[in-house]
Amino acid sequence: MSKAAVRSTGTDPSGPEQSGPDGGDPPRRSRRTGIRTGARQADHLAITRRRPWLLLTPAFIVLGVLLLWPMIRVVTLSFQDFGLRELVRGDAELVGLDNFTRVLTDRLLWQVALPNTLVFAAVCVVLTVGIGTLVALLLNQMTGVWRSLLLTAIMAAWAIPAVTGTYVWIYLFDARSGFLTGVLEYVGLVDTATTNLFTERLWFFAIATLNVVHHGFPFVAVTVLAGLMTVPKELMEAAEIDGAGPVKRFFFVTAPVLKPVFAVVTILSTIWDFKVFTQIYLMPGGDGANREVLNLGTWSYVSAMGQNQYGLGAAIAVLLTLLLLAVTVVYLRTLFKEEEL
Amino acid sequence: MSRRNARRTRRRLWLALGFVVVLVFSVFPVFVMLSTAVDPSANSGSRNVLPTGFTLDHFRFVLDEGNFLTYLRNSVLVALATVLASSVLALFAAVAVARFRFRMRIPVLMLILTIQMVPMEALVIPLFLQAKTLGLLDQLLGLVVVYVAFSLPFAIWTLRGFVAAVPVELEEAAALDGASWWQMFWRILFPLVAPGLVATSIFSFIVAWNEFIFALTFMSDSDLYTVAVGLRQFFTRNGANWGAVMAGSAIITVPVMIFFVAVQRKLTSGLIAGATKG
Repeated sequence: MSKAAVRSTGTDPSGPEQSGPDGGDPPRRSRRTGIRTGARQADHLAITRRRPWLLLTPAFIVLGVLLLWPMIRVVTLSFQDFGLRELVRGDAELVGLDNFTRVLTDRLLWQVALPNTLVFAAVCVVLTVGIGTLVALLLNQMTGVWRSLLLTAIMAAWAIPAVTGTYVWIYLFDARSGFLTGVLEYVGLVDTATTNLFTERLWFFAIATLNVVHHGFPFVAVTVLAGLMTVPKELMEAAEIDGAGPVKRFFFVTAPVLKPVFAVVTILSTIWDFKVFTQIYLMPGGDGANREVLNLGTWSYVSAMGQNQYGLGAAIAVLLTLLLLAVTVVYLRTLFKEEEL
Repeated sequence: MSRRNARRTRRRLWLALGFVVVLVFSVFPVFVMLSTAVDPSANSGSRNVLPTGFTLDHFRFVLDEGNFLTYLRNSVLVALATVLASSVLALFAAVAVARFRFRMRIPVLMLILTIQMVPMEALVIPLFLQAKTLGLLDQLLGLVVVYVAFSLPFAIWTLRGFVAAVPVELEEAAALDGASWWQMFWRILFPLVAPGLVATSIFSFIVAWNEFIFALTFMSDSDLYTVAVGLRQFFTRNGANWGAVMAGSAIITVPVMIFFVAVQRKLTSGLIAGATKG
């Protein structure tokens, strides 16, 4: 369908868009519905107008009760002094912005939790999308058994649950029995007699990055590969005849065609990498024992569930959500400017 | 001619190198998991990744003393219920936003996308309090509803693309042949969107099977632990029982992996492309 057709129907709220081969064309629509009698046509239109809402209702109920309401609740909670006593009693005292003041004036936010969230997410997204795209390009060059084999391996990487994957990386970097610790020591990067990798903030997050990228690149690779297969062969051949090398072909032919695909994988990777929780929480010290490696997610959880400061935890959660929303809005604005969703 | 051959050989070499690197990187953790799970000296502290022998003792320990059969049952029940519920709800919603141009369409799309941004962790606290009030703590159903909610936005968003990719001409042909909208939905749209449903079902399954925080927070009764939480018992103050951890991890990972690889073809080969070309 052409973009023009989509645009013209976007402003036309009546009836289903896809009623004619090019939706917004009134004469065609009347020709199609012309085979019905007048009364049936009116009925049909009423049903058609209600149908999208009918289809959306079940999903909306679930989303409303389990996502929207808790979202409101977490905000109200962040203005309350909600501790163990309130958990038993039920009602809680409003304390205004106290929780936010506490969080925003905490050294832990500016020097620990915020960098641990932002820098970590940025590095992970760049690496995940970069590696995923390279792997997709590689897969696109391969055929037959080799391609199936590699796809299977990538699926295997994708299938590892975050929990078990994290345990494997912890094991590999374990001070006593870690294979990769041994490699690092052999190369001379680490001395296990004096350092434990997991207590060093930088190493801790390097390991977490490896874990998150390994977990995330298959999704990017498979999605981009699916997009690559839709790039018209004629376009590539024409570019090749015009003398464009593989690098030029990627940046001037493939990348523009795949822009929406890249937008989606980047948005989703960003969302996922901002709220990494399990991979951090399960690592040694990640559950709050080592305050230096807390990120916004684990800090919020530890404050609420570990120290029974539900109001404070909610305030941190609200801040994390606002941060994510800000990033999303920037993405959405660029997306909606580019094309009709 | 020879220059072209040389270029081809060089290309082949690069491809082979890339193949090996990606292959090793992808399967290394699984390999380590499996080899440690069957290694009799897994807990001896050697830095090996190759097993020194073969034993099933770790698996026996995990299933007998680790109570893993119960955890497996809990996880399977929760995951299947989540997949069923979220597939149905997501397909309906996806058709609504992909096939109809109604007044609130763009706001609805924005809402779904925005809702997905909300970090699960941000909602643990209110959902924990809500579940406590409703008596849904220590109930598998409590986990199912939460997982359905969290897998829905992604499923709707993904299915939307699959629905939009089905040629409208097919629907029109069905309408001209006198099919009602629901007949069209089940006979035309549903089969063509099936690959998309497979993809989103996998996603929902993984959400439920892998989820950790809610499973940890909602369940205090150890008989209701899911597998992801059940693993934690092998970490004690005296260090980890790595053999047991990896055996348990393998039990969690391998079924999902087989399932994944089995549906891989459906995921990657677009059935839809075939439908429109033919």
